[in-house]
Amino acid sequence: MRPRRGLNNLLISWKASGGFKQTVVEILERGRRNGMVVVGFSIIATMIALALLAPILPMADPTPAQGDVDEPLLPPSTRHWFGTDNLGQDVFSRVIWGTRVSLAVASMAICFSLIIGVVLGLTAGYFGGAVDYIIAGTIDLFWTFPAFLLALAFAAALGASLLNVILAISISYWAGFGRLMRGQALSVRERQFIEASRALGAKHSRIMFTHVMPNCLAPLIVWASIGVADAITIESSLSFLGAGTPITTPSWGKMLSLGMPFITEAPWVTTFPGIVLLITILGFNLLGDGLRDVLDPRMKGMRR
Amino acid sequence: MADLISYVIRKLLLAIPVIFLATFIVFLMLYLTPGDPALALVPPRHTPQDVEDVREEYGFNDPIYVQYASFLWRLLHGDLGSSVSAATTGLPVSTMIMQRLPKTLELMAIGLTISYSMGIPLGIYSALRQNSLGDRSIMVFTLITYAMPSFWLGILLMLLFAVYLQWLPISGTIGGLSSIILPAMTLGLGNAALTTRMMRSSMLEVARQDYVTQLRSRGLPEREVIYKHALKNAMLPVITVIGLDIGWFVGGAVVVETVFSWPGIGMLIVDSITKDDFPMVQGCIMVLAVFVILGNLAADILYAFVDPRVRLG
Amino acid sequence: MTDMGSPILEIKGLRTQFLLQEGTLTALDGIDLKIFENESVGIVGETGCGKSMTAFSILRLVPPPGKITAGSIRYKGLELTKLTEDQMRGIRGKDISMIFQDPSTSLDPVFTIGSQLAEVISLHQSTYEEEALRKKVLDVLKLVKIAAPENVIKQYPHELSGGMKQRVMIALALSCNPSLLIADEPTTALDVTIQAQILNLLKDLVRSTGSSMMLITHNLGVVAETCDRICIMYAGRIVEIAATMDLFETPMHPYAKGLLKAFPILGEHKDELNVIRGTVPNLMKPFPGCPFVDRCDASMDRCRTTPPTMVEARPGHFVSCHLYSGGGVPSDAG
Repeated sequence: MRPRRGLNNLLISWKASGGFKQTVVEILERGRRNGMVVVGFSIIATMIALALLAPILPMADPTPAQGDVDEPLLPPSTRHWFGTDNLGQDVFSRVIWGTRVSLAVASMAICFSLIIGVVLGLTAGYFGGAVDYIIAGTIDLFWTFPAFLLALAFAAALGASLLNVILAISISYWAGFGRLMRGQALSVRERQFIEASRALGAKHSRIMFTHVMPNCLAPLIVWASIGVADAITIESSLSFLGAGTPITTPSWGKMLSLGMPFITEAPWVTTFPGIVLLITILGFNLLGDGLRDVLDPRMKGMRR
Repeated sequence: MADLISYVIRKLLLAIPVIFLATFIVFLMLYLTPGDPALALVPPRHTPQDVEDVREEYGFNDPIYVQYASFLWRLLHGDLGSSVSAATTGLPVSTMIMQRLPKTLELMAIGLTISYSMGIPLGIYSALRQNSLGDRSIMVFTLITYAMPSFWLGILLMLLFAVYLQWLPISGTIGGLSSIILPAMTLGLGNAALTTRMMRSSMLEVARQDYVTQLRSRGLPEREVIYKHALKNAMLPVITVIGLDIGWFVGGAVVVETVFSWPGIGMLIVDSITKDDFPMVQGCIMVLAVFVILGNLAADILYAFVDPRVRLG
Repeated sequence: MTDMGSPILEIKGLRTQFLLQEGTLTALDGIDLKIFENESVGIVGETGCGKSMTAFSILRLVPPPGKITAGSIRYKGLELTKLTEDQMRGIRGKDISMIFQDPSTSLDPVFTIGSQLAEVISLHQSTYEEEALRKKVLDVLKLVKIAAPENVIKQYPHELSGGMKQRVMIALALSCNPSLLIADEPTTALDVTIQAQILNLLKDLVRSTGSSMMLITHNLGVVAETCDRICIMYAGRIVEIAATMDLFETPMHPYAKGLLKAFPILGEHKDELNVIRGTVPNLMKPFPGCPFVDRCDASMDRCRTTPPTMVEARPGHFVSCHLYSGGGVPSDAG
């Protein structure tokens, strides 16, 4: 009984203190009751678990050496749950290992995007004037330009490697976060307590981070979740086209592209990675949409 | 009307620095490539002399701003460089792009039509029958369609219609009306999901407004309240998104063209990437960037035409 | 001002409820009210007492999940609660029209003023010919004293000031000569200086067109200026109805007395303002007696158990309070 009560009191005090902590508590409390959040979260948790556990799970080697391969294009069986692909590799283990690639690339890309976007957006909104004009123009350009195309261009220029894919997506996706933070900064800037802080001698960076940021947590989380879904889509599309992850890394997009020629004789090569890809993207979308409903139904209009 | 004209002029002027910024970024692309930039501009079978020639011609020894200036100069003359891939060495990039552009535009136009002609009615229906079975099914359907990457959707549709049912051709190179249906359908369905959801949430939002109840209190028939007044207001956010949709379609076209072997710019870009034809990739991106910017401009103007409040902004 | 012929609007036992997940909210609990020709009746009460809901119920515009669950509303003998939606639409805007509280949100932002007015006029007066329609639109705009109406008809709502928008709303409401105009807090969203103008405009127009007006407000000052009779509502019930002067001179219901005392008198020296202690009751929990019982200084045991009935305590002055229902004649109120 003791620990529960302590936790309860902690949550209550967090809720009252506003800002970050309040948002976290709101998510925990209301999120639990929202169907989309629950389903989305479960899917994501499962995928993360699979990704982390992949090395120790008793599966076939996803990229076996030349001599170790089994027969190509075997249908699903007890030995190969998802069958084998055109190179004789076990599809099931490749799909599970693919989780690592997709999740790692997507989450890191969104992480970088978030940092770039938040910093630039806050700076633009907070300082205003010429700084704002330039940054806002840049945000606008990157915002209207299709992220996928930009990522393609950068990935093509930089060359195929995991890091380059992450960089490419980061450069293409930051504008969304930039817009968000700029809007928030602009609205908070006018308020009296900002002037008061300045009068008390607070540095700009301190004001930005202690006053502006906490209120933005809710939309940031929503955007980040949907962003990961988008990043996974972009990464798999890039891999599908051959501009993404290097050929040896098991990526769902690549598996789909390799399986395409055999689609009539061996549909399992494309279908299983495709379904898992779909479910993962769906999971992040659901979480994002659900959290949006939970944290601020007024944001509903804010698609993309 | 006068405020509309001044708005258009203002937007046109604002688009210019954006286009400049885009050209600058495309210009910088060359320097992202690992290694000597000059190597990206020579065909695979080249001599060291060729590399030197390129260096001279493009002035890699000059300071950056000079190079940028000459880049812009060339752009203004329609010179996007020459292809360096083995099969098409020497062919001007701009010619090849212009050959393929109409095909992509065709695809996008039909895709847009499909997307909006499905999305808008479905969204309205969903909103008017909120929480009904129809609404919920539509929401589930859009959720799944939206989560599916375009290439996956394309493959599925290809499997269904071209392989199993054999109603439609697999590849777009065959030509004729039927070959455009599958790729356009893929693009259209993918975006229809978004349009439907936007339309639905917009209608729901408008239906809650005071003026809707006011209109009813004036005795207007429900049909007019919904289709004449509410709909016009609800369309506004959907129209705002047209610009972003155009961007999405451009990106989607690249993928879909590859899946269905549709001979447009998308396929050109992907082929060029595989063949390391840097000038072609750069040229395509440039053209597409300008296209997207102009497309957004047109969408902004359309929006101001419909919503008078925006003209002051 | 007792008998003025037959009433144009007669409400009896009106009950409007909202069927929510958490329970049933009773917004109106048995309202009895009569409005006669050529008179202005003020409906006064605090937020949530049901004033606006009365208006919406009359026009049958109660937003779902609300419904009229009991009672009758007779307009010139016609039972409104039994009309079809089509028939009701013929009444709205033509016989009974309504002005909403916030003019900024009550006009469709993407249509010009002229087109919105033309829409209503052509709908109810079957005027379709362009010239005739335009003339009527300009006429009604002049009626509400808008300067340069030829310009205004081409403008959009966001180009007008709050006061002008409200005038347009009044024009829309009066354009088809309704017999009853319902004004829901018409001046609350306006600047104080404009409020007086709009109120005077309303008063003049209603007098000159011969319509009746039902003016809903929480501001006693407003009704004192413009209304012939005042009706005070509390927690979904009517507690007192009287002619304006009668009410101000001799308020009878404890709530009415409290309201009047709360108004500070200009020039009076006060340390503290008078307040009515307590808060409004929860409309989702049914209360068997008088809803005001917890805040009333004169409450008796009976007040908790039996609901008071409306009696005519003095000629033309009706109260719903146990203090008066001993004597007096239980009346056919209004």
